[in-house]
Amino acid sequence: MRSFAYLSAPDIDTALHAVSAEPNAKFLGGGTNLVDLMREEIEQPDTVIDITRLPLAEVAELPGGGVRVGALVRNSHLAAHPLIRERYPVLSQAILHGASGQLRNMATVGGNLLQRTRCVYFYDTASPCNKREPGAGCAAAEGFHRNTAVLGTSEHCLAAHPSDMCVALAALDAAVEVRSVRGVRRIPVTDFHRLPGATPHVESDLAPDELVTAVEIPPLRAAANSRYRKVRDRASYAFALVSVAAALEVEDGRVRTARLALGGVGTRPWRAREAERVLADAPATEEAFDRAAEAELAAAVGRPDNAFKIDLARRTVTAVLRRLLTTDGSTP
Amino acid sequence: MTTPTPRTPVPVHSPREAPSPVHSPREAPPSPASSTPGGVGSSPRRPDGTLKVTGEFAYSSDMWMDDMLWGATLRSPHPHARIRGIDVTGAVRMPGVHAVLTHEDVPGEKRYGLEYRDQPVLAFGKVRYRGEPVAIVAADHPETARRALDRVRVDYEVLEPVSDPVRAAFDPDCPLVHEAGEDLPPAHPAHHRSGNRVRYQPVRTGAFADGATAAEVRALADVVVTGEYQVGMQDQAFLGPESGLAVPAEDGGVDLHIATQWLHVDQSQIAPCLGLPPEKVRLTLAGVGGAFGAREDMSMQVHACMLALRTGRPVKIVYNREESFHGHVHRHPARLRYEHGATRDGRLVYATAEIVLDGGAYASTTAAVVGVASSLGLGPYEIPHARVDAYGVYTTNPPCGAMRGFGAVQACFCYESQLDRLAAELGLHPVELRIRNAMSEGSRTATGQRVDMPLPMADMLRRAREMPMPPERAAAGPVDVRALPGGVANTSRGEGVRRGVGYGVGLKNLCFSEGFDDYSTARVRLEVVGGEPAVQVHTAAAEVGQGLVTIKGQIARTELGVERVTVLPSDTRVGSAGSSSASRQSYMTGGAVRAACLAVRARVFELVRAAGLVGDDHPDELLGLAGGKVVSGARGVLVSLADLLGASAVEETREFRHRATEMLDPTTGQGASHTQFGMCVHRAVVDVDVDLGLVKVVALDAVQDVGRVLHPQQLAGQIQGGSAQGLGLALMEEIQVSGSVIRNPSFTDYLIPTILDVPPMRIEVLEHPDPHAPYGLRGAGEPPTLSSTPAIVAAVRAATGRPLSRIPVRPEDIVGIERD
Ligand SMILES: Cc1cc2nc3c(=O)[nH]c(=O)nc-3n(C[C@H](O)[C@H](O)[C@H](O)COP(=O)(O)OP(=O)(O)OC[C@H]3O[C@@H](n4cnc5c(N)ncnc54)[C@H](O)[C@@H]3O)c2cc1C
Ligand code: SF4
Repeated sequence: MRSFAYLSAPDIDTALHAVSAEPNAKFLGGGTNLVDLMREEIEQPDTVIDITRLPLAEVAELPGGGVRVGALVRNSHLAAHPLIRERYPVLSQAILHGASGQLRNMATVGGNLLQRTRCVYFYDTASPCNKREPGAGCAAAEGFHRNTAVLGTSEHCLAAHPSDMCVALAALDAAVEVRSVRGVRRIPVTDFHRLPGATPHVESDLAPDELVTAVEIPPLRAAANSRYRKVRDRASYAFALVSVAAALEVEDGRVRTARLALGGVGTRPWRAREAERVLADAPATEEAFDRAAEAELAAAVGRPDNAFKIDLARRTVTAVLRRLLTTDGSTP
Repeated sequence: MTTPTPRTPVPVHSPREAPSPVHSPREAPPSPASSTPGGVGSSPRRPDGTLKVTGEFAYSSDMWMDDMLWGATLRSPHPHARIRGIDVTGAVRMPGVHAVLTHEDVPGEKRYGLEYRDQPVLAFGKVRYRGEPVAIVAADHPETARRALDRVRVDYEVLEPVSDPVRAAFDPDCPLVHEAGEDLPPAHPAHHRSGNRVRYQPVRTGAFADGATAAEVRALADVVVTGEYQVGMQDQAFLGPESGLAVPAEDGGVDLHIATQWLHVDQSQIAPCLGLPPEKVRLTLAGVGGAFGAREDMSMQVHACMLALRTGRPVKIVYNREESFHGHVHRHPARLRYEHGATRDGRLVYATAEIVLDGGAYASTTAAVVGVASSLGLGPYEIPHARVDAYGVYTTNPPCGAMRGFGAVQACFCYESQLDRLAAELGLHPVELRIRNAMSEGSRTATGQRVDMPLPMADMLRRAREMPMPPERAAAGPVDVRALPGGVANTSRGEGVRRGVGYGVGLKNLCFSEGFDDYSTARVRLEVVGGEPAVQVHTAAAEVGQGLVTIKGQIARTELGVERVTVLPSDTRVGSAGSSSASRQSYMTGGAVRAACLAVRARVFELVRAAGLVGDDHPDELLGLAGGKVVSGARGVLVSLADLLGASAVEETREFRHRATEMLDPTTGQGASHTQFGMCVHRAVVDVDVDLGLVKVVALDAVQDVGRVLHPQQLAGQIQGGSAQGLGLALMEEIQVSGSVIRNPSFTDYLIPTILDVPPMRIEVLEHPDPHAPYGLRGAGEPPTLSSTPAIVAAVRAATGRPLSRIPVRPEDIVGIERD
């Protein structure tokens, strides 16, 4: 680990000024990702600004039925919060399917949004990796890439976004509130993470001096009938091979609202808009679900180790929709 | 080995003390357990148990001395490269750095090795695997040491890795990992070393011994099944990383506190490298956080000593997790080809196997692993015509060596898969086919060795089949998702879930094989402390978590009738105990402790006669020790030990050997190479989500014969742990190696089973004593690791109909998307 200066920010303004004065600073949330990366010298900040004392740990109801979640709310707390469990079960489930109890107790919403990929070459400083070292090349393309993405990849990077929580937030159309000395802005979660393109090292829309302060989730009736499914190599405590966040509202046998997002297969939390388009107003049948899954994955590009994910993702999408159909009270 | 001396009242061993379902078998022999509380057959608490569960136990990584320095290791970033030069000047100049050493600083022999000395202390000439140590540093802070490593400049000429073990075994044009003229010691002539082959061992019986071809033998069979299999690289995944503390001594020697499996074999490798006589290299066992074979080879032992001797300060080295994956050997990955032929009525006629084991960059125990894989490669079946060819090869992959099951695991997965295929062809129940071909006492193995101890395989298989089945999944009503594939991930509510049942049985050699002069040493001291008799037991045996420390105390209590027993820390002040591996320590060190206790008893009885308490001709057989007193069958209590001994102590040291074994014949593979055989039978029940490829092991039940139960609770732990490690290999554990580089050196990416993956286990223990072994016991730690894997894979096959010829089985294999 490199030496760094440590600052524990007492309030938001101090944090924002500190980060704008120091070009190579990092915020410290739960530290469950950042500290590992610093130990491996993949992240080498000059200053670490501890933000855990900032007053951003509230979960609050918004007028109109949405929920506002402070950036420092711990993952365990969010998953267990009655408002979330009741209105957005998919979010609660997604969080609980990630990492382990100890990690979720530490991990924050902001940190989870900004956690970095688990591509094995990203962690191996002896291998070329465009994300770690722009222009170096991508070792995963020819190497072991079972846990990389099949959607949204570029010739420069195939890394999957590892978060479970973000997949649910993408399906729910959440927005990220960010602040800097320049002011406050809001970014839809689906725009927050970037596709790798030619600049895989730029992972989000966040400027280096911006602090995530909250996530806002709009009201969504369909979310009451929502769930998260995760396919992984062991029964708990493993990243997703494929995961699906879905919400489904059916009326008179037809899909009224469908929200779908995929994890484990995309270079970012993958909102499945193609699938949603197919489902819009379609009959709520297995056949339509299959077509929707098919449509979303049509653009997927598999490689030897990860091509299986395409078929696995199709099956998982269909399975979760089928399951939601049987739990939706309005279905005959 | 003589039979146990008869002694005073013998309570029948009560398995009810065991917390898990270890059942008292009907066959149990009259137990020689003593009346002394905490003796053999009971489940006394481990002396280190409370400390371990409360977090107070000092593991090797917890060691501390006020003036110590921290060592760190520079490792090769390349799997295969020539070293053109090493420049340490930048590192040496750093403040806080006390020493920077390379191969040029190794005072003595530049290579070491467990069986074959081919591994450089620090690389010279070439590096042969990614992570190979190249330079070492001692500094006053671990971070300073690490930074100093960054300033060591190594000029590498990168070479093409030798990654394909099959090519390494058979392609004469494959580049050599160890080039000619490298001045390596001569290999054992019977190992057929050549090129990249570390050992080739053939086995031939029946018509194959007479030179018959496969085609000729095939004609004798009605039904033939063939299979090609692959076994991924498994890690021992111990939790306590490699660590040690070397302290320079005034006599110019060094004291090393180290977590290892075998103190004396470390000592015998370290001393020549340091250019010191063995007595100047003293080792003490530090707290071991798991081993499973991974600590049989050395890691930083010589490095820590070199740094301590160079700096004159104590030096501590602790590997981090990633480094640990590079710092120890793994289970040999394997490629295997099998063919079995049988008659219509299910009698095996012949079998062939070709086994290629990837030994990685250095020999480690590869030759011995080949010896096991070849001799046990066809398992516990009577097969008239057998042909096995087993190869262990050098590649530039991570070095592989000992891991629980040692060469028998890879083959067991294959021969059990073959038996299942054959049963399907013949329309026989897999258990029925196994019973028809089962070995038993008096059978001969493929190497011609007669099994001269009970081997109730058919009975064990029947018992496994007859165990109660777990309840069917309820068709309706509330669902506990934890009980389903995908578990709490909620992937399924039971739709698309199919159940399968599978069986596995494996044969494992216990103790060392192939002519090795295997022994253990124990020193036992009886004296009076505070008016009470007390016993000290001193051995060099490594407690690696298995509970030998408890067993040693139990044996002393039983043999000496004294409750108060202290087990001294293990160190090299007493003779070698051999390795804590091969399931051998209860047998070997248990045997040595018992022998030393018997010698102490004999001395006590002499004192009794000398004191005139009985006549000079009163034989030992009529005397006994119980409750801290000397008793006579006829006259009851003669004297208390406290009164008899007064201020004097009785101390005896004994070496214990098992019977001799033979090398396998280099061309026919015949020979009585093994000391003892162990067997476990598993029945696995799985639920598989066939849509998403997820497996839930619902039951993993075992029947094992252990000859004699010494500690029911610890035995249950061994069987459960071995079964879980086999489950890991079946379903998730694999070190991903591509381009000769480990891609998942962390417990985030190398998955081991958690409590949610491992089902409750029903365990049935049989006790058919082995007449050659102390107390009739059989080593118990390894056999469950063999049979659990094939049983689970068989169950998944039964549920899915997929061929599944590669382990670990992954979701993509189950849903039918083949990988290359
Ligand atoms: C063994 C292991 C297994 C895991 N398994 C899973 C899994 O299955 N599923 C899953 O989804 N995740 C998993 N994780 C990842 C885990 O969810 C993340 O590590 C965690 O969410 C990160 O949160 P944190 O608060 O600890 O972030 P930190 O480590 O503190 O920070 C991460 C990054 O976010 C930045 N950051 C933090 N807060 C802010 C803010 N408010 N504004 C701007 N930047 C900020 C930091 O500067 C840093 O760059 C696993 C992690 C581990 C170690
Ligand atoms: S996939 Fe992306 S993260 Fe992985 S090696 Fe390639 S560039 Fe790096």
